[in-house]
Amino acid sequence: MHEFSIAEALAAQVLRHAPVGGRVREVEIRVGALRGLEPEAMKMSWDAVTHDTPLAGSVLRLDLRPWSLVCPACGRTWESPVPFETCRCGETSPRPTAGDELNLMSITVDEDETTAEEA
Amino acid sequence: MSESVRTTRVPVVERVLEVNDQLAATTRADLERRGILAVDIIGAPGSGKTALLEATLRALKGRRHPAVLVGDLATRRDGDRLARWCDQVVQISTGQGCHLDAGQIRDALMQVDLSEVDLLLIENVGNLICPVGFDLGQAAKVGVFAVTDGDDKAAKHPYLVQAADVLLLNKIDLLPYVSFDGPLFQADVRLLNPTVPILEVSSTTGAGLDAWLDWLDRKSADGGASTPIA
Ligand SMILES: Nc1nc2c(ncn2[C@@H]2O[C@H](COP(=O)(O)OP(=O)(O)OP(=O)(O)O)[C@@H](O)[C@H]2O)c(=O)[nH]1
Ligand SMILES: [Mg+2]
Ligand SMILES: [Zn+2]
Ligand SMILES: [Zn+2]
Repeated sequence: MHEFSIAEALAAQVLRHAPVGGRVREVEIRVGALRGLEPEAMKMSWDAVTHDTPLAGSVLRLDLRPWSLVCPACGRTWESPVPFETCRCGETSPRPTAGDELNLMSITVDEDETTAEEA
Repeated sequence: MSESVRTTRVPVVERVLEVNDQLAATTRADLERRGILAVDIIGAPGSGKTALLEATLRALKGRRHPAVLVGDLATRRDGDRLARWCDQVVQISTGQGCHLDAGQIRDALMQVDLSEVDLLLIENVGNLICPVGFDLGQAAKVGVFAVTDGDDKAAKHPYLVQAADVLLLNKIDLLPYVSFDGPLFQADVRLLNPTVPILEVSSTTGAGLDAWLDWLDRKSADGGASTPIA
């Protein structure tokens, strides 16, 4: 379950970046298909890691990037959640490529107006 | 009067494993400066990582100066097996952790006298998925598959196949006893990684090990040009 160590690293990172005094509502990450991250395991890990911390109750949003497939026979390119797929033309070995990015993209916070004005 | 709440989306674009990656980069620079080739050996539980290291250490005796770091969830057994062949072996107990990380490698390296070492062999925790995404500061990643685990394992673990600098297909002495479609395995690997060398070996009989030892020598001669995952 590498999702758990990723959730731990992410929580520390969010606490470093979140504006002081704000309540974190949502955290968005972008994940390349190569990472093979399980969305359910990732969300469970996030809830477990943030439980009883200032991040408790925040929602983790995953932007899972798909595989790109290129058909060597007809040249068609398309995206898919899985790396091995048969092309419409019957070719059984389209070439799969994907990224391994794992990036924090944004943090959404609630701030009290008065607090925000002071800042 | 702070009744009203303002919701703001703060854009941040940063790698989630930034802290790990920075530690790994420091290790990579330290090892390169010392001329030490570091390889991260990744494979399923029981695929033969320790057996491969035993055979490798035996063959390199008197020729190279290796040190070994070995990750395991709970026991010291792999470390004890390897200590028979190498006097610098550090066992890293990961507890629940299904992979090694860059911090554990730095801690373990504190226990090694690096002055004589020219090769650092790292046996990762038995797992085909989790270790791949954690940079340790290695110069090369080695993926180990075993014929006894089935010919579909490359297709099911694309990240390792794509990230590996060399793949070993181990336990070929058992090919007569298992159904393993070699051409299918090779074709799956080639779709995911057109250039990675695939070396067929038996860690117990020693078949094919020369090609692996040659690969290590050539990689060392290259100065272990680093391939951080990116
Ligand atoms: N026949 C045969 N058996 C092998 C070979 N390589 C390893 N084995 C056997 O496979 C079993 C597992 O080998 P290990 O070297 O402990 O595997 P490992 O990958 O280090 O396992 P973990 O560290 O637990 O993940 C042992 O019984 C080895 O003797 C091989 O090439 N041929
Ligand atoms: Mg082992
Ligand atoms: Zn894991
Ligand atoms: Zn096609």
